[in-house]
Amino acid sequence: MQTYLTLMLLFPLAGGLTCALAGRKLPRQAVEILACAAVWGSFVCAALAAASYAAPQTVTLGGWFSSFDLLIPISLYLDPLSLSLAVMIGFVCGLIHVYAVFYMRKEGDYARFFALLNIFVFAMLTLVLAESLPLLYLGWEGVGFCSYLLIGFWYTDKNNADAGRKAFITTRIGDTALVIALAWMFQLFGTLSITQLNGMGFLMPGSIVTAIGILFLIAAMGKSAQVPLMVWLPDAMAGPTPVSAMIHAATMVTAGVYLLSRMYPLIGSSATAMATIAVTGGVTAFYGATCALAQRDLKRVLAFSTISQIGYMMLGVGAGAVTAATFHLLVHAFFKALLFLGAGCVITAMHHEQDIFKMGGLRKTLPLTFWCYLAGAACLAGLPLTGGFFSKDSILVALWHKGGTLYQSLYALALLTALITAYYSFRMVYLVFGGSDGHKHVHVELKFMQLVLIPLAILGLFGGVLNLPSYIGEGFLTRFFAGLAGGAAVEGTHTEELALQAVAATIALAGLLAAYVRYGKGRSQRLLEAKAYPTAMAAFLLNGWYFDRLYQAVLIRPYQALSGVLWQKVDEGVIDDSLDRLAGGLGFSGSWLGRWSTGRVSIYIVSFAAGGALMLGYLAWLAL
Amino acid sequence: MTPDFPILTLLVFLPLLGSLLVFACWRSDTLVRWVALAVSLVELALCAWPLAVSDRVAFPGAPAGFFLFEDATWIERFGIRYTLGMDGISLVMVLLTAFITVIAVLVSWEGIKERVPLFFALLLAMQSGIQGVFLSLDLFLFYLFWEAMLIPMLFLIGIWGHGRRVYSAVKFFLYTFLGSLLMLVAIITLYLMHGSQTGNYTFSLHGMLNTSVPLGIGVWLYAAFLLSFAIKFPLFPLHTWLPDAHTDAPTAGSVILASLLLKTGAYGLIRFAYPLFPEAAHAMTPVLYVAAVFGISYGAWVAFAQEDMKRLVAYSSVSHMGFVALGIAAWSPVALSGALMQMVNHGITTGALFAMVGMLDERTQSREIITYGGIWGKVPVLSFFFLMFCMASAGLPGLNNFIGEFLVLVGTFRVSPAAALGAFLGIVLTLVYTVRLVQEVLFGKENKPLELKDLSLREAGVLAVLGLSAVYLGVHPGPVLELLKAPIELLTTVK
Repeated sequence: MQTYLTLMLLFPLAGGLTCALAGRKLPRQAVEILACAAVWGSFVCAALAAASYAAPQTVTLGGWFSSFDLLIPISLYLDPLSLSLAVMIGFVCGLIHVYAVFYMRKEGDYARFFALLNIFVFAMLTLVLAESLPLLYLGWEGVGFCSYLLIGFWYTDKNNADAGRKAFITTRIGDTALVIALAWMFQLFGTLSITQLNGMGFLMPGSIVTAIGILFLIAAMGKSAQVPLMVWLPDAMAGPTPVSAMIHAATMVTAGVYLLSRMYPLIGSSATAMATIAVTGGVTAFYGATCALAQRDLKRVLAFSTISQIGYMMLGVGAGAVTAATFHLLVHAFFKALLFLGAGCVITAMHHEQDIFKMGGLRKTLPLTFWCYLAGAACLAGLPLTGGFFSKDSILVALWHKGGTLYQSLYALALLTALITAYYSFRMVYLVFGGSDGHKHVHVELKFMQLVLIPLAILGLFGGVLNLPSYIGEGFLTRFFAGLAGGAAVEGTHTEELALQAVAATIALAGLLAAYVRYGKGRSQRLLEAKAYPTAMAAFLLNGWYFDRLYQAVLIRPYQALSGVLWQKVDEGVIDDSLDRLAGGLGFSGSWLGRWSTGRVSIYIVSFAAGGALMLGYLAWLAL
Repeated sequence: MTPDFPILTLLVFLPLLGSLLVFACWRSDTLVRWVALAVSLVELALCAWPLAVSDRVAFPGAPAGFFLFEDATWIERFGIRYTLGMDGISLVMVLLTAFITVIAVLVSWEGIKERVPLFFALLLAMQSGIQGVFLSLDLFLFYLFWEAMLIPMLFLIGIWGHGRRVYSAVKFFLYTFLGSLLMLVAIITLYLMHGSQTGNYTFSLHGMLNTSVPLGIGVWLYAAFLLSFAIKFPLFPLHTWLPDAHTDAPTAGSVILASLLLKTGAYGLIRFAYPLFPEAAHAMTPVLYVAAVFGISYGAWVAFAQEDMKRLVAYSSVSHMGFVALGIAAWSPVALSGALMQMVNHGITTGALFAMVGMLDERTQSREIITYGGIWGKVPVLSFFFLMFCMASAGLPGLNNFIGEFLVLVGTFRVSPAAALGAFLGIVLTLVYTVRLVQEVLFGKENKPLELKDLSLREAGVLAVLGLSAVYLGVHPGPVLELLKAPIELLTTVK
């Protein structure tokens, strides 16, 4: 097991470092093959680890640093949660690497690209497998760093670099909460080992557990783009599409959900913390869905849908249903990667046009992409019997069963969001693939790129089998996760469950129908409307409820302005000046500085040397 | 390897001898460079000796924790002794000094074209002073080295600097000199008090440790030490000499200033001020906390506004050294080892950043951020290192600075959650200015068409060594932490 785990991390790390240090000297194909092989090697190790997995275990690979009673080992923890994520990461990232080879064929700087992609996989796996929280933090920051550079991969365009910077700094705000939580937990418990901490929650009063839970939530808000720290994710679409698929849809952005699930045994005992997590998730799910309604850029539609879907996962964690949240996390990884990669094919075919109102007819030009994309959209919309249907439904069921006014209102909100989701998913499909104005030619690269979509489409569509509802049979994930805190199956009768699923299915179909009426039948009408100036409501949604403007006005501009004031008025104006005056008052500054700066430097050397010699001579004389 | 061999004396005075040797070769600038390099490399190699001492418990006759020790009467009349001692803390600082001096010699290789022999002689002489500071255990001797190391720096800035170099040099000198005069007064007062109490007039640190100082006087004496060290640190609000000195210093001057001279302040606080006046230090901890916490955010905030890269890095030093001060103020084992790690790490990272700004400056004669932009495509190797050191500076885990900052924060939180909470803000603000620097130098469009050459072999070598150290200390800082452990244990239990 230790070998598998070590190699799982070592492959992408070695691949990344080789590409980074020697990549520019290697031929393009070597770099491409190396990068892909590294990730697939890692996946094979993950699969082997899964095959030989028997019980949760901690594997210590060595020490990182230690100071007195603070011991930080490099230790990994393998349990159903980390294992299922590691397998998913290896597989999805492997596919996306292959896709990226073709997608980036015409771009330079392939070494930098693949180095970062590989290092990202390493960091993500470290995050997931870490047993000690500082090691998790290493992965946590590592993925943030790679994300930063990959969003700004085409750095000569200032907007791209700015988007990267925005992502890095916004998520850093959340990261700070994580460091505070670490410092605090070390003060309280004297350890930063996840397994130990998870067994120690009962030692602390509820209020402290709540506070720690909320610190973790803030960390998750940053990385997982939850309200109010979600503003970076839509802009992150400035990165190459494979990056959006891998980092900003399938893996990194779900790290927050993973963190909360990981620490669930500790923080789950606080009802307040759980309720806060659930509310955050519910609000974010709704927020993301409404914004997605009005987006015109294909990738931004998907970005907001990611924000929204992660909101669902947070809802699941908040409802105490870690299994459901992880189930949705896994299935979402498949279908959202699929949608992004499909979007990449579309954008390539459209010669980098991303406005969905300028697309159309691609059903005929790119039939394979169309069918796969349709599968992805069906999952996103939660159409009955797709993977997305089952996974989203398990969260809804958990909310329903949790009961209480709060959770039932959240259930209602989640249902409303599901309606909106189905609607915007098919709005996108109708606009991109509907109509008949498609006449774009297909590149060779595109043919290979499309092939990658197939396995993801299958996984997305049939992802439901990972965890079938109990009236069909025992779910695999439920059984696998049974030993985990928060992994227990939701109790309920089969009739109730069927009824809830019928509601969810009706909602999804209603959304589909509405989208068909407005964007299928009414397509030409909508295209006309799109040319007009957007209504106030549309603009509000298009701009993500104007959060960016708010932060710009309240945080960023004042910070920039004050930094200048601090420098020129306070630092040089008040502090420096008063110290200079003080020195002047003591008789030094004014005349001395003046005289010194006009004199010749060599005089000082001579005088100093003479003075020094005199002093040393005197001391020597004393010594003798 | 006999224990009688005066290895510490050699460590202190070899560079000074080297500087004389450099003068002897004044006819050929090339020879001067090679001699200086050789001397600094020999000094670095000599550090293997203390590293090789297997049993770091104590040297016969030395105070606890000092595994190398030299003691001789010097000026008997005043009880002044020539006492050098090395414990784990000194060893780490001596090693850092030897290492950074090699770097400083190498970064001056082509940039310094005038009065080459004088430049390298001063550089090596300064190294002697710094090593002396890190090894002296007699307060008089310490004070002598403390002053001695300033003088070469004064000239390095004054002669080879840029801009308002003489103003900056004198400002630097006056600030630090004023502070150290007060310290001298405090040393002499303490000397007289101890002498009158015990009849034994001595400047020996360990002799004076058990002087009973009334808190009323102790606070003043401690304040004098603190002021002197805080200026060197530099702690907010005594930092305003630093941006000027850094901006106008030649590259090697900035490197040594940031990597080594700033560390002497923190070292003095740990080695002398705290042990000599534990009660007063304890009473004045809030002052240090406030200065540290405020300085972390303030330095970061002001750094964000800078247009000159050197000034930006200089203000970032104010912020980073705030973490050191925070760890010292907390005075808990974890926090203190974090502070010492941060001293080493800041030395490497900031030294590297100054070296890189110097390299850019040599290429374009500009340190203004606005000159650059989008240089990644032109100079990928240089950009790679630039990014790496910026990220290290921003505390990215896996690189060196993270370890120190993390230990300081975790260690301080235990003792004073309030102070630590104030410092967490620094984590975000540090990234804000760092990313701005990366962004506006490496990314975006070219603001001006620049003729840039990528790193020469010498430059790449310098940065690779610094980069490897940054990675090593970030991934496997164990050996350094191990060296620090015993002395920190002694220091924190005395209190």
